Amino acid sequence: MKKILSIIGLSALLFTSCSKDKDAIILQGEGKVTLTMDAVFGNQDFALKKDFTTSGITYNFTKFRYWLSNVVLVSTTGQEIKVSGSYYLMEETGEIKLTGVNNDLPTTVYPATKRESVVLKEVPAGDYKSIKFSIGVDQKYNDNMSLQSGELSQLNGMTNISWMWLTSYIFTSAGGKVSDGKTTKTMLIETGLNANYKTIVLDLPKNLSITSSTSTSIVVNADLSKVTDGIDVMTNPVVGASKATVMAPVANNYANKVFTIKSVN
Amino acid sequence: MGKCAFLRIPALFFLFGVTFSCNKENVSEEVSQAPHAVKLRVPVNFPPVLEHADNPLTEEGIELGRMLFHDVRLSGNNKISCASCHRQDLAFSDGIALTTVGVSGQALARHVPVLFNLAWAESGLFWDGGSKNLESQALGPLTSADEMFQDLNVLEQELKADPEYVKRFAMVFKDGIRSVNVIKALAQFQRTLISGTSKYDQYRRAGSGAGLTESELLGMNLVNSKCKACHSGELFTDDNYHNNGIDVAFNDDHEGIYQGRFRVTFNPLDLGKFKTPSLRNVLVTAPYMHDGRFKTINEVLDHYQSGIKISPTTDQLLYQNRGQAGIPLTQKERQAIIAFLGALTDHEFMTNKQINNPNE
Repeated sequence: MKKILSIIGLSALLFTSCSKDKDAIILQGEGKVTLTMDAVFGNQDFALKKDFTTSGITYNFTKFRYWLSNVVLVSTTGQEIKVSGSYYLMEETGEIKLTGVNNDLPTTVYPATKRESVVLKEVPAGDYKSIKFSIGVDQKYNDNMSLQSGELSQLNGMTNISWMWLTSYIFTSAGGKVSDGKTTKTMLIETGLNANYKTIVLDLPKNLSITSSTSTSIVVNADLSKVTDGIDVMTNPVVGASKATVMAPVANNYANKVFTIKSVN
Repeated sequence: MGKCAFLRIPALFFLFGVTFSCNKENVSEEVSQAPHAVKLRVPVNFPPVLEHADNPLTEEGIELGRMLFHDVRLSGNNKISCASCHRQDLAFSDGIALTTVGVSGQALARHVPVLFNLAWAESGLFWDGGSKNLESQALGPLTSADEMFQDLNVLEQELKADPEYVKRFAMVFKDGIRSVNVIKALAQFQRTLISGTSKYDQYRRAGSGAGLTESELLGMNLVNSKCKACHSGELFTDDNYHNNGIDVAFNDDHEGIYQGRFRVTFNPLDLGKFKTPSLRNVLVTAPYMHDGRFKTINEVLDHYQSGIKISPTTDQLLYQNRGQAGIPLTQKERQAIIAFLGALTDHEFMTNKQINNPNE
């Protein structure tokens, strides 16, 4: 922290003669980072409605959605900078017909959406060595859906009837079809429940220098081939609220295997 | 409506007076005085109540919740309100084992619970505690296909089309009509549903000897010694979960709805445990149990006397018959217990005009 402060101080001294505009920006000492969660399947680019095969099982996805939350950047001196209100719905999905419909009106449709990037704003200038984020929604917000922060909402289908009886958020949802070559089954692998809220720390391959004038980015791979790692998905193609024992290893996969750093710029 | 309307009329006149002579900012200042904070009126024999800092009670919020609670526009087919299944004259229960009044017409898997003294329900709502607070709870029945089946986006549109709601939401919540504010207002109203004016309460507050008959007093002592381990305290519930021996096995159909508390905790020790309902108003809230299987209070007493089924989680508190499951009762004792339960009926609560349909 001392180092950051002295850099800011030094910068302020150096730029005292510059224009007012520049001065203001430097004194703010804040920059932004684009965080991209790039969906992949093994070494292939992820896409909906495309066959991906691993260990004799073929997956064909129609949606991949999850809550990315509580993003923290860790500086080289170990200081943690929390991005306020960081609850983002990351998704790649076709149209979704939302449950809960007025009989006199057509079904509410959530449009096809692809969202992989978020911009982390107001990050203090400095050097950062790692990024920390969570998958799911922390207990305070998960237990009380009238509290809202960031993009948390009941209006986007990341809660549903079976979950409503626990009245909490679906943390992750990966759906489509799965086949072993003989039979094809409808697949919906979801996580939720406070015990499955996971925080992930990824060290950056090189320090990320954030300043008010440069644009920086962190790209994280989100590997869907790892989501069901170790799970017999042909036996358990549907994992939901009532399948807590199968759900726990899925949540652990998200915590330990799905996310890796791809690049930092 | 009574009290609040009385308070509001002079306030409105005052507002008009101001608008004639002042600019807009002054008006919004006057409006911003609302909402008015409210403290729950807790009966003296009741335990203290926790306050919910995230959704503080206000006069206007409670009244808004009361309007919403009784409004059929909250359902997808605009035919049923919360009050359709939670009738004030039945202590906000419905008198039906498994209702089919929902939008789909399908019978529910669970019996409609009573709604009173919810301000003290801090260990979860629903028969299994699947919801942690009244705010989140409302989303269950609001969206369930077999209940109100409401699209929350549509609900916001419908409410925004009503100038009265636009005005009232704006008074209570900075961001006006939003589905989160619907559930907050409903929660505020429900926290004011306090049943504490039964004959028993008058007896408790007047001191010993007053009010209760000999039979009712005998019944009270029997309830104290045989039932109070679960139906405890002045709320007559421990707000906890028990397997009271109505089934031998608990299958995992319907996402575990018959497994009780286990469905929420996934702890094998919670299999078949359901929330202890209060004994207050119990004589007007038949049928009984989470699926409404017992039609009368006599069937309930029969169960506790000789119908307890044994499974690994059957509550030890039911072993009151020389080490065997069951609560032995004589005919006279049963009559006394029923007489005392009658003294827990709160007629004032069930006819209170502060909590009825404001449009009636």
